[in-house]
Amino acid sequence: MFQNTKCECGHQNPVGTVLCESCGKPLDEKLLKDQDAPLEMRYDGVARRSQKANPHFVDRIWNFFSSVKIAVYLIVITLIGATFGTIFPQESTLINLTERSEFAAFYKEEHGTAGVVYHALGLSRTYESWWFIGLLVMIGTSLVVCSLDRVLPLYRALNKQQIRKHLQFINRQMVTYAGTVSGDGKDWAERFGKELKRKRYRVYQENGALLAEKNRFSRWGPYINHIGLIVFLLAVLGRSIPAWHMDQYLALYEGETRQIPGTNYFVKSVDFTIDYYSDEELASNQKGKLVAKLYETKAVLYECTDACDDPTRDPVLTEVKSHDIRVNSALTYKGLSLYQNSYQERVRFISVHPTLTDSETGQAIGSFDLKMDRPDEEYRVGRYTLKLNDYYPDFGLDEQTRPMTKTREPNNPAFVFRVTGPDVQEKGEIFIYFPMPSEKSKYYEQILNESFKTRGDSTGRFSLKVENPIVDGKMNNIEFSEYTTFLNIRMDKAMPYIWVGAAISMIGLVMGFYWQHRRIWLRIDDGKLSLGGHTNKNSFGLRADVAWALGKVGTEVDPKSLDNRGNVR
Amino acid sequence: MKWWLDFSNDAFIVAFFLYIASFICYAIAIAGKRWSNRKPEDHTARWGKIAFGLAIAGWAAHLAFFFTRWHGAGHIPTSNMYEFMTFLGMAIMLAYIIVHLIYRKVVVGAFTLPLVIIIIAYASVFPSEVQPLIPPLQSIWLKIHVTMAAAGEAFFAVGFAAALVQLIRVVDFGRTDKAGRRAQFWTEFSLFVIIVLIGFIVSVFSFRGAGYEAVFTQETVTIDETGAEHSQVKEVKYSLPPIVAPYNSETVSFQSFVGLKEPLFEAPSWLNGVNAGRKLNTIIWSVISGFVLYGILRLIARKKLTAAIHPHLSDIDPDDLEEISYRAIAIGFPIFTLGALIFAMIWAQIAWSRFWGWDPKEVWALITWLFYSAYLHLRLSRGWQGTRSAWLAVIGFLVVMFTLVGVNLVIAGLHSYAGAE
Repeated sequence: MFQNTKCECGHQNPVGTVLCESCGKPLDEKLLKDQDAPLEMRYDGVARRSQKANPHFVDRIWNFFSSVKIAVYLIVITLIGATFGTIFPQESTLINLTERSEFAAFYKEEHGTAGVVYHALGLSRTYESWWFIGLLVMIGTSLVVCSLDRVLPLYRALNKQQIRKHLQFINRQMVTYAGTVSGDGKDWAERFGKELKRKRYRVYQENGALLAEKNRFSRWGPYINHIGLIVFLLAVLGRSIPAWHMDQYLALYEGETRQIPGTNYFVKSVDFTIDYYSDEELASNQKGKLVAKLYETKAVLYECTDACDDPTRDPVLTEVKSHDIRVNSALTYKGLSLYQNSYQERVRFISVHPTLTDSETGQAIGSFDLKMDRPDEEYRVGRYTLKLNDYYPDFGLDEQTRPMTKTREPNNPAFVFRVTGPDVQEKGEIFIYFPMPSEKSKYYEQILNESFKTRGDSTGRFSLKVENPIVDGKMNNIEFSEYTTFLNIRMDKAMPYIWVGAAISMIGLVMGFYWQHRRIWLRIDDGKLSLGGHTNKNSFGLRADVAWALGKVGTEVDPKSLDNRGNVR
Repeated sequence: MKWWLDFSNDAFIVAFFLYIASFICYAIAIAGKRWSNRKPEDHTARWGKIAFGLAIAGWAAHLAFFFTRWHGAGHIPTSNMYEFMTFLGMAIMLAYIIVHLIYRKVVVGAFTLPLVIIIIAYASVFPSEVQPLIPPLQSIWLKIHVTMAAAGEAFFAVGFAAALVQLIRVVDFGRTDKAGRRAQFWTEFSLFVIIVLIGFIVSVFSFRGAGYEAVFTQETVTIDETGAEHSQVKEVKYSLPPIVAPYNSETVSFQSFVGLKEPLFEAPSWLNGVNAGRKLNTIIWSVISGFVLYGILRLIARKKLTAAIHPHLSDIDPDDLEEISYRAIAIGFPIFTLGALIFAMIWAQIAWSRFWGWDPKEVWALITWLFYSAYLHLRLSRGWQGTRSAWLAVIGFLVVMFTLVGVNLVIAGLHSYAGAE
């Protein structure tokens, strides 16, 4: 299609130009038809980059994403898509479920048929779904393309503005004024310009024509905002780089030290404390309830400096940081953060101080410290040696009712000792010891010791027992943990970029929304004054400026009368 | 401490009545223009000034309420639904005062004041007692995030009020074609929705004043991992006469109300929660009282409510209203972005170890933001200015209200502590 894009002022415009780049005369056929309608001033009427005469295949993709209409569609579809994810809880919030079948069962049980459909459609993972991420990527693409498509031509247009504009351009602005000027037009324009300068306009003049402009920088606000959003979206994508991101949970009982998996760090929960509000502090509908006031884990972070991967030796740990971890106060060290996630009241022994008794003589031989987790291989008590034969941190029985450990956590530890020493049979005496005073473990202890006896491994001579376990209502000879704290260990190397993106975006928004680009053109032809003004936002403020400046040079007008939009709506 | 809280409650009541007085004066300023022996402009200017003065006085009392409560409670009063909604009302007043100082249009006040009155009356439906802060809320970000988010939303509220005036202003009651009738219907419907909200508040306070109560219990049986059955009995108190009982429930006590001696029906099985029935009952009551109120107003006006208001708006330029609505939203958008998204992300990072977790409240804040982004982009396009963008401003505020209230009542999630009982 052939299109003549040369303006009557002699300027050669690119295809797609709405208003002549030089004099501002309307070129678009639609705008020429209705001579009185206000002009379409978007992007100053320049051709966008995508408006080419013969679009190529790549250009077509570019054109698709360069459309604001498409961008709005993408936003609206994303918005509607996001609502789906809030109908029922997302799978990611159900932290104690892992298997697909478990999730399916959860939705079926909790939400019935609707839940089954919800899960089957994949809406239980809306925000990880291919279509949702696809939409976000498309929005990101649209941000880049839309911005590039407009910002460069707009920059060029605003950078080489003509002062004298075509009459049609001036008279079809949203703010207009027409009048007569007695005397020298140049002189009048000079005075008018001076007044506008006081309103911090930049004023350019040329033979009785005037251009006043202020706050042009606000035009770049949207593009800066878009750059910030792109940085933000890229940073979000960056979080999927495995080395950039770590997210794991660690359960620690009081006094426990544990390695943070995948790192060289160890963390110890020295103590966990919780405080509740007293009844006087609570509102009447809360009285009698336990409302937490403060809970915190006194934690110490260690770095392993030697023997870290050596299974035969204990790692050498150096303390690097200690901190009281609270909900709003994490321990942070070199990009690694430990957050208080939750806690559980679960009594667990850390160590006991049992006494070895000879049941034949009824005499106490001696006592020693027995750690529940990672006990020593050998203990010397009096003249006897206790060798640890077997250790079950979390005692249980397997299908053939053989002893086994259910987990590696010392939830209910059992110790099998072989005692050797004076007047003990050659192969020693074997017995099992359960420190936890529960009925079940005491029952197992009895049965298993009976079986050692029948096998001839034991005569039942030795036994271990904590003496005076309770003194004055407090545990004695027993060190125990009351709470298990759950820490969330995080590393997120993308975070700085997220905040930078957000900050850039904010700067752009403030620039774009709290300042407005205002321009006023006027020309005086044989004492006939034509004035036009344009702003992308707040025409109210522009009208006030124009009326104020006109008033200062002796022409009183009502700001409202400058409105050229015709109230057609 | 008690003295401060008592003073705070008194200040709240003073603020409430000053707002009502201000609204009445705004109504007189607009509706009384054609009263005899006065010039319309002078009348509007005079009563508008009185109304604005009363609004300022009300806001001062509101500020007194806020700061004395803060002092008395020892923490900023934005931590539960009552406190947040009263704060939102205060923020809307601030946004209104700013917009008024720019544009000085009496009619915007005439629509913003009732909105504020409804919001703070709605706040009073929730328990107003001071509750101590739970650990997640003990952070400086409670002050920064919540206040900024509310400030942004407040400007959206003013944008909504201006858009609503604009819609009523441009409705053409002479039109009988399909599009014209549709515009008439939906504008009237917007007012009806507001009246239903008033109906809700009126019914809650009437029955609360009368001390009405009905109690139900619901037994639920669950089977745990080991196969053991656990049955749990939950109790629910109704403060409105139960038209709907909770699903699968037993009546414990029931005060009869004008012949209603037992629930008319039971909640359907998909609303199986013990509170779901109570919420459904509340909605039914709101709609009923909304219809009654609307009927009374229609009888007084003897025409559609929009048609009754419309003639008083004839001297206002719809373009100006549109500009006010757009400007309010444009001022609010960066504040909302900062308060409801960026500050929220910072706090979430500090407290929950992740800046974003697709929690329902987070998602709805994002939805609100996307909605207003779409609005701001669409307004650049020809054909979307005027009535269409006014409708978007109205719907946008509905999205805001759902994010603030609906999410807590319907979906909950991590922000559940900010919810109702």
